[in-house]
Amino acid sequence: MIDLKNIGLTFARNGEQSEVLRGLDLFIPAGRFVAVLGPSGVGKSTLLRVIAGLLKPNTGSVALSTSPENAHLPVAMVFQDARLLPWRKVWANVAFGLEHSKLTTAERRAKAETALALVGLTGFSERFPHELSGGQRQRVALARALAVEPDILLMDEPFAALDAITREGLQDELARIHAATGKTIVFVTHSIDEAVHLADEVVVLAGKPARLAAAHVIDTPRPRRRNGDETAELVAQMRAQLGQTG
Amino acid sequence: MTRTKTIALSALGLAGFLIIWELVPGLGLVPATILPPPSALPGAFWGEVKNGVWLSSLTRSLSHYLAGLIIGCVLGVSLGIVTGLWVPLEATLAWVVRILRPIPGLAWVPFAILWFGIAPSAAIFIISTGVFWISYFAALGAVRSVDRDLIELADAFGFRRADQKLFKVILPAATPGILVGVRTALGQAWMAVVAAEIFGVPGLGQRMMQASNLLASDIVVVYMATMAAAYGAIDSIFVAVQSRLLRWKQ
Ligand SMILES: Nc1ncnc2c1ncn2[C@@H]1O[C@H](COP(=O)(O)OP(=O)(O)O)[C@@H](O)[C@H]1O
Ligand SMILES: [Mg+2]
Repeated sequence: MIDLKNIGLTFARNGEQSEVLRGLDLFIPAGRFVAVLGPSGVGKSTLLRVIAGLLKPNTGSVALSTSPENAHLPVAMVFQDARLLPWRKVWANVAFGLEHSKLTTAERRAKAETALALVGLTGFSERFPHELSGGQRQRVALARALAVEPDILLMDEPFAALDAITREGLQDELARIHAATGKTIVFVTHSIDEAVHLADEVVVLAGKPARLAAAHVIDTPRPRRRNGDETAELVAQMRAQLGQTG
Repeated sequence: MTRTKTIALSALGLAGFLIIWELVPGLGLVPATILPPPSALPGAFWGEVKNGVWLSSLTRSLSHYLAGLIIGCVLGVSLGIVTGLWVPLEATLAWVVRILRPIPGLAWVPFAILWFGIAPSAAIFIISTGVFWISYFAALGAVRSVDRDLIELADAFGFRRADQKLFKVILPAATPGILVGVRTALGQAWMAVVAAEIFGVPGLGQRMMQASNLLASDIVVVYMATMAAAYGAIDSIFVAVQSRLLRWKQ
């Protein structure tokens, strides 16, 4: 569960103030897949950083309810760039978040292998990041987040830099992982189609400072077809909201 | 040009060089004491090996070298890292660094002799001074240019303490830049070894100067070649270690 109340955030740089978020309330029950849509620069990444505790909001409160065994690291983040550590082999990148625990190297490695299997990368453990394709790197980043078994998964335009085929493959895998694990997922994207295809609920951020402009529940049954008729009207409605055409 | 052809030409060039070198004193154009012919070198080398001077000079030079290198690198890299991490310290040191840094390493020789005498510690001091600055600036720059995103990654995965960030992200990310500095330092330090020993600290440089004073110019050349070979070997070993450490790079 994620409960944001009255979040306000202002960046100060060289004496210039830039208010990015103001009075933002958002409640996400456990297990829900929420997509955050909004134009670039509106504050989507900032919102994720606030949820992850990487940025402290100037006003308001962030409450996360998580299972006690995950108290140390209840959220895990997938960035837009895979952000792998280039000096670590794939398995050691995936095991990164496990290094707080008292697990032995063998146990960490086993968990990393499990997470890699989940994203379809069995057999890649011994490679270095530069030996992977962009899509594979993004999968490793997803495996790294899954390996810590977080209650909450935060994803910041994780598939934006990928080609369409790789992107759709990863979307399907994410849908499968969500169905299998029931994690709470906050998924930032600027693609309406991606949001509607994956999420239980789509929230739209707009304005400066950003506020929640709209929230749409997507209740089409899963597994979902791409660009199905059920969602066509909703997609059109969101396009209008975001001022996009075509 | 093919590989074989390149190698053949290089060998030809070297042979030509040696022949001319052999002929200039051989034809009596200059006396052999001023330019000893290459054919005189194996004998001179063997003489130095047999009386044990060659090996003891080499090991002495290497021990000054390694001690100076290690002291200079450890101090320079550590201070560089701390300064890179902590902006107030950089500001505090800025002017001190500006005053001390332009002093050429060899300009420390008078003080080295004053403080340590003509002793190995004087050589080690001169060597480590040069190494210190090179590794200090390499480490400072490398730490400064660590990708902020990787540091945020450490934060996102719960490594919030400075020491955790240092060991998980900053040091590994800065390693390539630090190693580039250390490699430069290897060369600088070797020059400093020879220079310090020319002032009398026992080692290759000192032995070379003794031979020169006795007009044993063939022995001088033997030690020049020894210095070149030793440095070549050290640099090759370093490059091998470096590429092993950095095998994660493209
Ligand atoms: N560290 C920062 N310092 C100052 N301004 C920032 C910082 N991070 C983001 N911003 C500004 O905040 C706004 C929102 O950024 P961001 O959350 O990255 O947008 P989005 O992810 O929606 O594209 C942008 O105008 C950006 O320039
Ligand atoms: Mg963003």
